[in-house]
Amino acid sequence: MDQSTEADHLGSLMRAAQDGDSASYLRLLTEIAPVLRRAVRRQAPFLQSSDVEDLVQDILLSLHSVRATYDPARPFLPWLFAITRNRVVDGQRRQMRRAANETLVEEYPETFSDDRTNGLDESYGDPEALRHAIGNLPQGQRHAIEMLKLRELSLKEAAAESGMSVAALKVAVHRGMSNLRKALNVGV
Amino acid sequence: MRRLPAPWIRASLWLAISLPYVGAIILLHSPQIDLSTLFDNRQLAIEQGAILLTALTALLAAFCSVVPGYDRRILLLPILPLAVWMAVLGESCIDAWLSPDAFDREARLDWDCLPPAVLIGVVPAIAIVVMLRRGAPLTPGVTFALGALAVAALANFGLRTFHPSDASLLVLAVHFGSVAALALAGGWIGRHVLRWPAVQFRAAR
Repeated sequence: MDQSTEADHLGSLMRAAQDGDSASYLRLLTEIAPVLRRAVRRQAPFLQSSDVEDLVQDILLSLHSVRATYDPARPFLPWLFAITRNRVVDGQRRQMRRAANETLVEEYPETFSDDRTNGLDESYGDPEALRHAIGNLPQGQRHAIEMLKLRELSLKEAAAESGMSVAALKVAVHRGMSNLRKALNVGV
Repeated sequence: MRRLPAPWIRASLWLAISLPYVGAIILLHSPQIDLSTLFDNRQLAIEQGAILLTALTALLAAFCSVVPGYDRRILLLPILPLAVWMAVLGESCIDAWLSPDAFDREARLDWDCLPPAVLIGVVPAIAIVVMLRRGAPLTPGVTFALGALAVAALANFGLRTFHPSDASLLVLAVHFGSVAALALAGGWIGRHVLRWPAVQFRAAR
């Protein structure tokens, strides 16, 4: 199908879609998607594939929102590409605004940047040693560890059960964890 | 889904709403100038012609700007009549300044024309905002600036029919200054008012 025939075909699909033919509309959107991808890549060759796809979806949504503006007496492709150019430029502006306020990293940190929170070996190999270490903790710290870490109660629930304040529970669990690390020689 | 009518049809519709309204405001305030003086006063006739042409070309350009696919150069349509208007206005200002008659040079504003000046643009402004929102916001600032220029020029056309033809220097400057200010304000507002509409999806049944 040569270019002018293809343009006429797309125009007739759009005309049918405006008249309420959903099947023609679906066919039109399917057929113009690859056209839009090529147009976006031509206009913004530096974009990654995911960004190209996002833009194509944006263009299709915009086309849907202004489909009433298409005049069947006029050619379809200039109408389509005018929307495409406009949305690509908008997309590029959005990306520039985002880039000005964000820093992209290759790996997202899962914890804080401190070395102590990023120890490679975080598993307790010996459960018996862990139980023994917990048993050796001062009472307050032991209760805090049992409620918050083993029984996984919330701070509020643990405070209600133990009668300790939330702040005191936080301090106790922090000291307890620190003592456990020392006792088990983990991350020290 | 209703197709958007062609820009020239929409422009005609806007004129069909706005011209009778402007005419009614003019009649309410009784034209102080006999329309036949348009034919006697060449400068006034050219000025009014340029103002009207500015309004019509700005209007058409505004309605074309919200339809994807039109040549962007159509946005330049009002430039020539606007330039003619500015040239005629400039000449009137120079004449008023050089006039031996002190009346022309006095800095005075006729505050009586402020209420009709405000009223004359209300309905056309509302109509054009409503109509321009039905379209694609390809150049929102320019679209609204053109719309504001069309409204302001038409209002100016109406005001000049009942404002004395030998208006003072300051009145001429205020008339044109208000048109320029409205066009700029329209451009600023357009960026905030004309946006790509969000698409609402209904759940499949």
